Amino acid sequence: MSGIDALHLPLREQAAQIAAGDLDPGELLDACLATIEERNADLNAVIATFPDESRRMLDQAPEGPLRGVPVLIKDEWSLPWRAETVGAASVPGVKLEPGESGPYRALRDAGAVIAGVANMHELGSSSTGNTSLYGAAHNPWDLERCPGGSSSGPAAAVAGGLVAGAVGADGLGSIRYPAAYCGLTGLKPTFGRSTMAGHHIANTETIVSGPLCRDAADCRLLASALFGEEIPAGRPAGGLRIGVIRDPFWTNSAPGVREACEAALESLRGEVDGEVTEVELPELDLVLPAALLVAQAEEAAHLTPENLNALSPELSVINRGVLKLRALLPLSLTARAFLTRAKVRRDLMELFEGIDLLAWPTVPAVAPSLTEPMIGLPSGVESADSGNARHGVIANLTGVPGVSVPVGLDDGMPAALQLLAGWGSDALLLDAAEALERATNREFVELRPSDPEAAPLRSAGQSP
Amino acid sequence: MQGESAFQSYLQGALEIFGIDADLAERAVMAGVWSIYEPGMDLLRDADLDGIEPEPNADLSRPPAG
Repeated sequence: MSGIDALHLPLREQAAQIAAGDLDPGELLDACLATIEERNADLNAVIATFPDESRRMLDQAPEGPLRGVPVLIKDEWSLPWRAETVGAASVPGVKLEPGESGPYRALRDAGAVIAGVANMHELGSSSTGNTSLYGAAHNPWDLERCPGGSSSGPAAAVAGGLVAGAVGADGLGSIRYPAAYCGLTGLKPTFGRSTMAGHHIANTETIVSGPLCRDAADCRLLASALFGEEIPAGRPAGGLRIGVIRDPFWTNSAPGVREACEAALESLRGEVDGEVTEVELPELDLVLPAALLVAQAEEAAHLTPENLNALSPELSVINRGVLKLRALLPLSLTARAFLTRAKVRRDLMELFEGIDLLAWPTVPAVAPSLTEPMIGLPSGVESADSGNARHGVIANLTGVPGVSVPVGLDDGMPAALQLLAGWGSDALLLDAAEALERATNREFVELRPSDPEAAPLRSAGQSP
Repeated sequence: MQGESAFQSYLQGALEIFGIDADLAERAVMAGVWSIYEPGMDLLRDADLDGIEPEPNADLSRPPAG
């Protein structure tokens, strides 16, 4: 098989063909770099390539599970030859330098080849991906819509067929939102399971590294590298108990998204002979403000007047204002956020004693426009960030894993179901995601924004 | 802090106390973002959290102890 043909195979099949001697990994890397060269002008998903270093990684690749497979890494980790920039002109109070970050080591030790660095929302501060030092990445399903953030580049690159897998990061939903917007599967692992060594927020209790791929099996393979151990595959035991919190997650989602997720949930229930029950979580309204405050507390040590007064003028005015606002939020609120976290974690633990999974739409509406990222919901029009965060941050506040699975289209754009499980149940989540793929005959993970060999990238207004 | 004027008063004072410079565009962003944050922050401020045991040294990779 030629490198260009193999580029469109799943990650696991690329690895298997290389291991069997049926695919030349050098040809695959050349095809990957050529495709980035050809298509990235439209997507702006990749902000740096380094063919010499990539070829050196290939030459030195060990016999690992990803040997010879090209992947991308989000601009949130250092490489020995490149410091991360976090999509920004500077990060207040942090000196970023080249080095061996945890995800770099994990990929290298698994035999993967890092073909480039993927774009991201500036400072990781939004679910849209529409702002970056390098310009916004574009959603391959509609180049004028948001790819999602903050792992915008990884999602746009995989959905756009530049690579089969990429490593992102999820601090307040930043893997799951772009996976949903771009029709991919994205795993936010249980806190602490995937490597975070070398991250510029060393004391984080919310951010994790994780994979964005075309399906759950590829996510399992890439996540296993990040975990440093194989995530076993299996089938969920019969009688899987799925909890649904109707309000606001289902009731306040766009009708097309809700219907796609309801159909998927029913398919999953049937496939695993499970049961769906409505459940409640107390203090749900406090989750979003608590998560925002806990996350920002992790960065607050650097928000000194000296650093804030020296912010780069190249930083977007939004982030300059947000950083300064964060420095002024009352400490009493942050203290109450940590108390709330303690309560929500206990409530969630009790909830997971009676159910195996929680399910609701990953995002309440499909990807909005890059220029005006607002979404229409039954409750009215609001910013995509507000709606998305409401659906995503509980996993980061509490540490539990979550996965976003594509389940259909609304307005020609991908819709996605989010599944959450108890701490350490990452394998169950991926098993459930694969069960959902089986139940839908893989219809939605096989959807592509366009046939990369037969059709140009879709522009705004064209249906898939 | 309720209403834009209350926020503007707090903002002006806090920026001065901490010695943080902010131009008009940054102040407009701060006001806009605060208007999004405010309902949630008010809920958090007013929530009855009495009796909740804190979780010191929480291990986010595991369920809470006990």
